This record gives sequence, structure tokens and C-alpha cells, in this order.
Amino acid sequence: MATSTSLSAVARENPLLKAVSIIPGVLLLAGIGYAAKVLERTINTYAKTHHWTFPNIEYVLWAIIIGLFISNTLTIPKVFQAGIDTYEFWLKLGIVLLGARFVLADMMKLGGISLALVVVEITLSLALMTLLGRLFKLKPKLTSLLAIGSAVCGVSAIIAAKGAIDADDEDASFAMAAILALGALALFTFPAIAHSLHMNDVSYGLWAGLGVDNTAEATAAGALYSDAAGKVAVLAKTARNAMIGFVVLGYAIYWAGKGQAAVVTNKAAFLWKKFPKFIIGFLLMSLLVGFHAFTKPQVTSLGNLSKWAFLLTFAGVGLRTNFKDMSKQGLRPFIVGALGEVLIACLTLGLVIGANRIWGL
Amino acid sequence: MSPETPTKASSSSDSWLTLDVWAVVIALLLALAVKFDILHNVPW
Repeated sequence: MATSTSLSAVARENPLLKAVSIIPGVLLLAGIGYAAKVLERTINTYAKTHHWTFPNIEYVLWAIIIGLFISNTLTIPKVFQAGIDTYEFWLKLGIVLLGARFVLADMMKLGGISLALVVVEITLSLALMTLLGRLFKLKPKLTSLLAIGSAVCGVSAIIAAKGAIDADDEDASFAMAAILALGALALFTFPAIAHSLHMNDVSYGLWAGLGVDNTAEATAAGALYSDAAGKVAVLAKTARNAMIGFVVLGYAIYWAGKGQAAVVTNKAAFLWKKFPKFIIGFLLMSLLVGFHAFTKPQVTSLGNLSKWAFLLTFAGVGLRTNFKDMSKQGLRPFIVGALGEVLIACLTLGLVIGANRIWGL
Repeated sequence: MSPETPTKASSSSDSWLTLDVWAVVIALLLALAVKFDILHNVPW
């Protein structure tokens, strides 16, 4: 134990060792992702050859299922942890590269609709979670974290808000566990509901982007429905992520006013610090394609690179979801989170159906 | 989620922005590699 601690301390200080330390975990993510692709292809081919009626299970779901199986039945050796934690990097890399697959005009139209819906969704989510937190007598800062996590972008928003409102580690841990557990549930419920409602790809993608909190789960939930829905889910979720600074700033000012958090002196610097910079890369990539910087086959290559990056992310989503650890976090925040999420999912579904009627998505 | 996640999350609260910048830099490098045919016809 002492040896592993000192080794990880050395790895933290030495960039080369740090790079080496992520290799086993990244290989595990890649192995799971590739196995998922092979499973999808093999099962589909086998079913077709033997004239079976078998539901098409996409590689996305296989990657998550394999990851979930490993993390919930085996003890993952510590040597893999640093690499598994890179799933968020692959997610952001995938999103930036995905920018290449958006025609600028589509992005502006859908991005505009998404932003309008995001503003309504954030307002409703914040109000609803605050109300539920008060009803269930949760600690006020835990309520704030749950509200921010469900309104904006899951774990990243909670991490950003934790420092800004000076919340406890324990509260942040509760809020993250609730958001992650509910995100995992959404992976299975959202596509099923959408299929039963015969939603089109754009409507469903918007709903997944607005209703699923954590970016990785929102991306996976979208991709589970279809490739096109995955693209729209990422766009809607990105529009939501762009709001992180404003929401966290609002809460920081509120808690500073109560004397329970540091006063924000430079609001512009605060907003810039909290702004997710990968969104700039996403827009830049779309602009480059818009200005014909790449040929059609090159755009396809960039899109495929994005898919590979997402594949590693989906494996990571499964691997870092451990139901036993989540159950240790307590029931009350989970109930509040679950109630809030179900209501938010219904509200966002209503918003998307309304938007579909108005703008014909 | 592992039991250490909150501690890790709090310790990385200042570095998650760097992760964003890294993602953009690597994506741009990949885009350059595709543009100049170092990477071509990436399969899926």
C-alpha cells in the first residue's frame, strides 16, 4: 500500500511517469470499446445468417454493459484507475472533433433552439430542485449542488460550484452520486420511452441533451438511439454546458451574500474560468469545415476519430459506475434527485414536443 | 464511482479547465494530421 502511494505521488510529479501511468487504463477502455464493436457486428451477422429476430444492440450499449459488469463484479486493480479517469478527456476530444460533422447553418439553427430551450430548462430545474430540497429538508448547500447538477451539466457543474459556494466534500459526493446513478438509469429509460413515442432523431437528441445531466451519459443516451440523435444530443448538451459559469456565479453571489462563501470580485474573470473551453474547439472545428478547410473524405475521417474517442468514453461510463458505492451515499439525496430528474425529464419532453410543433424539428 | 471520487474531484477542481484545453489542442493536431494526409481514411 505504502509502495503504491509513493509510486502514485512520484507519478503525479513526473509528467513522463504520469503519461505512462495512464496507459493500462486507456488500453482497458480501448479493449472494452473494441470488444463492444466486435460483439455488435458478430451478433448481428450471426442473427442475420441464422434468420433470428434479435434486437440490434449498438456498440454503445455493449461498451457500457461490459464496463458495468467489470466494475460491479470485479475489483479493478489500482494500476488501471489513472487511465480509466481519462474518459472525460476522450469525451471532450470526441465533442471537439464532432464539430466537424455540423454544417454551420444547422448548428446555428439547432444551437439557437437548444439555447432557448436550455434557458427554460435551467430555470425550471433550479426552481424544482430547490423546492424539493426544502420539502425533504436537505442541507441548503447540498440542495444548491443538486440544483446546479441537474440544471446544467452534472458532475462538472458540481465540481465547479463546490469551490465557488464553499460546499462540503460530503455534499458534493452525495450530489455527484445521485446525478451519476440517475444518468445511468436514463441510459436505459430515455431510448425506450422515445421509441414508444416514435420520436424523430432531432427531437430525441434534443431531449437527451436537455434531460440527461452528465455530458458522457447524455452523449451515450443520444448515440443509443441513432447516430443523428447522438449528434443533436451533444449539441444541446454543449449549449447547456455553456451556461455553467452564469449559474455557478449566481449561486456564488447568493452564498457570498449570506456570508457563507468567498465574494466574487471579478465577475468576468470568474465566468471565463468556469466556461468549458472545449466548446470553443467544437465551434472552431465547425467553422473550419464551413470554410472548406477539409475535403469530404477528411470530414468523414474527423467524424470517425470522434466516434473512436466516444467509444473510450462509453467504456469509461460503465467502468466508473459502481452501484454498491453509490448505495453507500444515502437514500434521501437520491430520492430528491430521482424525483427531480423524473419531473425534469417530463418537463423537457414537453418542451421538445412543443418545440417540434413550433419549429418542425 | 469509487469512494475516493469526491477527494479526487475536489483536488482536480482547478485542473479540469486544463483538460478542456488539452482536448482542443489534441483535436486540432488530429485535424492537421487529417488535413495533411498523415492520417487518411480513418476507418470505423
